[in-house]
Amino acid sequence: MTKVWGWADSFRAHSVYFLSPLLLLVIWAWVCSVGIFPEQILVSPYGVYETSRELWASGELPLHLQDSLYRLGWGFAIGSLLGLLFGVLMGLFQSVNSFFAPSFNSIRQVPTIAFIPMLIMIFGVEETFKIVVVAKAAFFPVILATYDAVKGIPRSYFEVSRVYQLPTWHLITRIVLPATTPPILTGFRLALGRSWMVLVAAELIAADSGIGQMMEMGRQMFRIDIVLVGVLVTGLIGFLFDRGLRSVEAHLGKWKYR
Amino acid sequence: MKKLNQFALRISRLRGFLLPIAVALIWEFMSRQGDAYAYTFVPLSQIILSFIELLKSGELLINLVATLQTTVTGLILGGVTGLLVGGLMAVSPTANKLIGPLYHTLRQVPLLGLIPLIALWFGNGLFSKVLIVSLAAFYPVVLNTFEGMRGVEKKYIEVSSVLKFNRFQLFINVLLPAAMPSILTGVMHALAFAWISTVGTELLFSTGPGLGGLMQIAQEASRMDIVIIAVASIGLTGLLMNNGLFRISQYLLRWRSVR
Repeated sequence: MTKVWGWADSFRAHSVYFLSPLLLLVIWAWVCSVGIFPEQILVSPYGVYETSRELWASGELPLHLQDSLYRLGWGFAIGSLLGLLFGVLMGLFQSVNSFFAPSFNSIRQVPTIAFIPMLIMIFGVEETFKIVVVAKAAFFPVILATYDAVKGIPRSYFEVSRVYQLPTWHLITRIVLPATTPPILTGFRLALGRSWMVLVAAELIAADSGIGQMMEMGRQMFRIDIVLVGVLVTGLIGFLFDRGLRSVEAHLGKWKYR
Repeated sequence: MKKLNQFALRISRLRGFLLPIAVALIWEFMSRQGDAYAYTFVPLSQIILSFIELLKSGELLINLVATLQTTVTGLILGGVTGLLVGGLMAVSPTANKLIGPLYHTLRQVPLLGLIPLIALWFGNGLFSKVLIVSLAAFYPVVLNTFEGMRGVEKKYIEVSSVLKFNRFQLFINVLLPAAMPSILTGVMHALAFAWISTVGTELLFSTGPGLGGLMQIAQEASRMDIVIIAVASIGLTGLLMNNGLFRISQYLLRWRSVR
């Protein structure tokens, strides 16, 4: 009995969180039904739902999604692995740091989006340029988080490794990486969010497929329903990435508090 | 011996230049491989010449000022609105329950993904640009204002209730100064996001003056030299603004007795 009441209480406590988004939805639907705006300006929530079902059933949306995620996957994998590698090496060895830090710091000052025209000129408008842009966006949050994390490892850990005469490779895989997992994962989460945003922007500028291109086509054809579906899908995917990595962080960070 | 050490130190500082010099050499080498290569890998001398030309004609300055205007307008509009909304959420639990969830829902959408929508609604003029930049500045300021004011020590609020402050006095005299460090951190984030989104909107809308527009036109005309100059200006201006704002925030926080 108490359990049921507890559930009801938590429902009441949480239901307030849905109030304002629901209110917005209701106002949106109401404005549409009254017909203040023409359909080219505002489509009803139901219309957006219908369009998204249509786009999904025709296979258009899955195809765009697949292309976007393919680019994101490759770019993020390359950028974050390079970031991890350089972050560890620069954190461990001062000489590596002094070679690369000034260059990396100056490149970091330029927003990724500003590199898009340059990269288009070098790599063309095909897949390579998008993957490079995503990799650049992923690289810097990861390298910064990794470098800071490695610098923050207690000195005693390194002394232990010296006592056991661990080879560098084992020092990295057995001590450095486990000790730095939580902050590095935070870096990965930031990197994934930025990569996703930059990829959508790159697809808006130059692409023949992908969620961003779908929105841009929708804009050019005055199909606001398609644009809204794109906005919702990009928001949802960004949200899922964030939540997913947060739960991984909570899971992998557990050992710290035992 | 000491001199030798200093010399070694100076040499090791030069290491940082090794990579850029190597890249520049490879770039110059590639540019001499033929006319086709020289299109992409513009000779370094050409970049310098174009830079002087852009400076002389005033083109660089006009575009830079236009971009700065969009950023600053957006930063002020978004920052002030963010401060008010965040403050309201911190003062009133009802407002927090109503606005909070909506804020966190809308924040999930990547800002530049909103550009097609905003372009459909408001066209691709200055208003749309400023709207997006304001939104970019709005989000971090709300979050930091709210968290800063929520983190104010209880004893300050107790003192203000002893002094019978009303809500407005509480806000101005207690919450705002106490949350200032957090708010200024939010403004620093807001500046970075505003700068990025200004360049992004200029690239995507490609109307009116601005460094993004300059880059877009240069790319279509295959003028790599201008693109590089624009990229460098964007990076440098961003860095200078960031440092300037940091100085200002240090000045505003000089009353704090930290360390």
